[in-house]
Amino acid sequence: MNLDHVLIAVHSIRHRKLRSWLTVVGIIIGVAAIISLITVSRSLESTIQQQFEQFGANRIIISAKGFQGPGTMSQGLTTEDVDTIQKISGFKYVVPGLFRSAEVGFHGETGFTLIGALPAEQYRDFYADTGIELDRGKMIQEGDTHVALIGSRVAADMFGKEMGVGNKIIINKVNFKIIGIMKEIGNDHDDNQIAIPLETAREIFNEPERVDTIIAQVKSGADIPSLQHKIERELERKRGDTNFQVLTATQILEQINQVLGVMQVVLVGIAAISLLVGAIGIMNSMYTSVLERTKEIGIMKAIGARNSDILQIFLMESGLIGLVGGLLGSALGTAGALALGSFSKGAGFLLLVKIEISVLLFGLLFALVLGLLSGILPAYQAAKLKPVEALRYE
Amino acid sequence: MSALIKLQDVYKIYSLEDVEVPAIDGISLEINQGDFVALIGPSGSGKSTVMNLIGCLDTATKGTIHLGSHNIQHLSESDLAQIRGKQIGFIFQTFNLIPSLHALDNVALPMLFQHIPKSARNKKAKKLLEQVGLADRMYHLPNQLSGGQRQRVAIARALINDPEIILADEPTGNLDTKTGEEIMKLLSSFHRQGKTIILVTHNPALTKLANKVIRMKDGQIMGG
Repeated sequence: MNLDHVLIAVHSIRHRKLRSWLTVVGIIIGVAAIISLITVSRSLESTIQQQFEQFGANRIIISAKGFQGPGTMSQGLTTEDVDTIQKISGFKYVVPGLFRSAEVGFHGETGFTLIGALPAEQYRDFYADTGIELDRGKMIQEGDTHVALIGSRVAADMFGKEMGVGNKIIINKVNFKIIGIMKEIGNDHDDNQIAIPLETAREIFNEPERVDTIIAQVKSGADIPSLQHKIERELERKRGDTNFQVLTATQILEQINQVLGVMQVVLVGIAAISLLVGAIGIMNSMYTSVLERTKEIGIMKAIGARNSDILQIFLMESGLIGLVGGLLGSALGTAGALALGSFSKGAGFLLLVKIEISVLLFGLLFALVLGLLSGILPAYQAAKLKPVEALRYE
Repeated sequence: MSALIKLQDVYKIYSLEDVEVPAIDGISLEINQGDFVALIGPSGSGKSTVMNLIGCLDTATKGTIHLGSHNIQHLSESDLAQIRGKQIGFIFQTFNLIPSLHALDNVALPMLFQHIPKSARNKKAKKLLEQVGLADRMYHLPNQLSGGQRQRVAIARALINDPEIILADEPTGNLDTKTGEEIMKLLSSFHRQGKTIILVTHNPALTKLANKVIRMKDGQIMGG
């Protein structure tokens, strides 16, 4: 690399300020798009992974077929199924859960939110294993009836007045006493829930038998796949049907990752398209820039420039444009991803944005190579011309 | 005295859709060191083509061209670039300065391609710009200079590598009469300093400074 060539390139870039900047902007947009999209989709994946790890891998979740998530009005599971599973050895505990959307009244205001119910005596262990913690107040325990634990967002945002420990709320027209407020969990779904004892929920929702989800916590060291098969076998034998599904946390994570993988492909695809458009823009602008300077190339050759000098000057120029675009684009893309992260937090959706040096380096390198590539062809063509032909070019 | 430039039976033929158009139709000529040669003829007579061939900007279809001891028909593109850079200085009708570089850098550019350090380049370029009367215009871009000033920058650039030969193609063509005369005086003074000058023009009035006039028509030399 020759410093003099760099200086000529810099002069030339500065001489064509507007065109140079427009080209740089094209690269910035392409690189920023790909950096932010890759960062966001990778952050999404790692956020979900992290949440699942919190959840614990030692769990088997049984639900009715077609179950898509808590709150779905799934058909099929009953307390009998809970008993069936409880008879299988190898579990620390088996928790039945009932979920209903219900009208909630507080200080004269009403609204709807999700009510989750587990057996009163199981809250302490289950929440401890799940990593859900109280912000203030106390946990639901054995013998509790008309008491409620309030999710952080419900407590803070649902009604005009913030809920506090000891307040009264009305769920499905029945009075409850708030005994605890949960710490923020980080996802909208959990933070917008109210937890009450299962026995009371069965009364107020008139659901004596039904269970929406059964969570079986596996004893540490137990063989999870074999327990999973055992549950499937026993349930099928007792029920005489297969209208249920038995999933491990790992399997659920795999399923989510599959969906995420598709999403990632789509996101990166979009980014790649924007980058391609940017690349074509750069090539076009580089090409015209070199073409319109064919005469300049002729002049340089007439005063003694070798083809290699010409190539170096033009490569330096397009490489510099690529590098500047790559730097600014990486910065902008990172800022965009961080902004999306903080926006998602405000919207009640947890996205831990992770900035990866490798992604940034990729963006930078990509822009540099793109700049060089789009400069090399026209520069080579121009350098190859006979000086007299290049000089004649208008 | 052996000739500095020697053309023997040189042809330059352009092929235009099966028709062969000779721009130069078999010419031979010799130019000695220290000559001031005027190459004159109407437009299309082939005079510029001769200059391009001598200046290694173009290659002949047939014939041999010697510059000093080199037969330039046998040289590589990179060797030709060396000759253009070191032995020849060009002055064009349209000045042909690099628009993004100021006068000083334009003048110094041929030295840059010879890999001469910046301080030496600038020193010499400044001296030459002073000689052509542009001491106060060194840091102006070409578009901030008048036509005559641009041509003087171009002349300074042509001289910077101390070439033996200066090729001037209609150097006054884009200038008014008075400025043109000043440029011609400059050329003449370089001739007196021992440079070999080849002036291409269609204007007979400019040939009076030359010690040798070559008239061309239809790609051939008229009666020497």
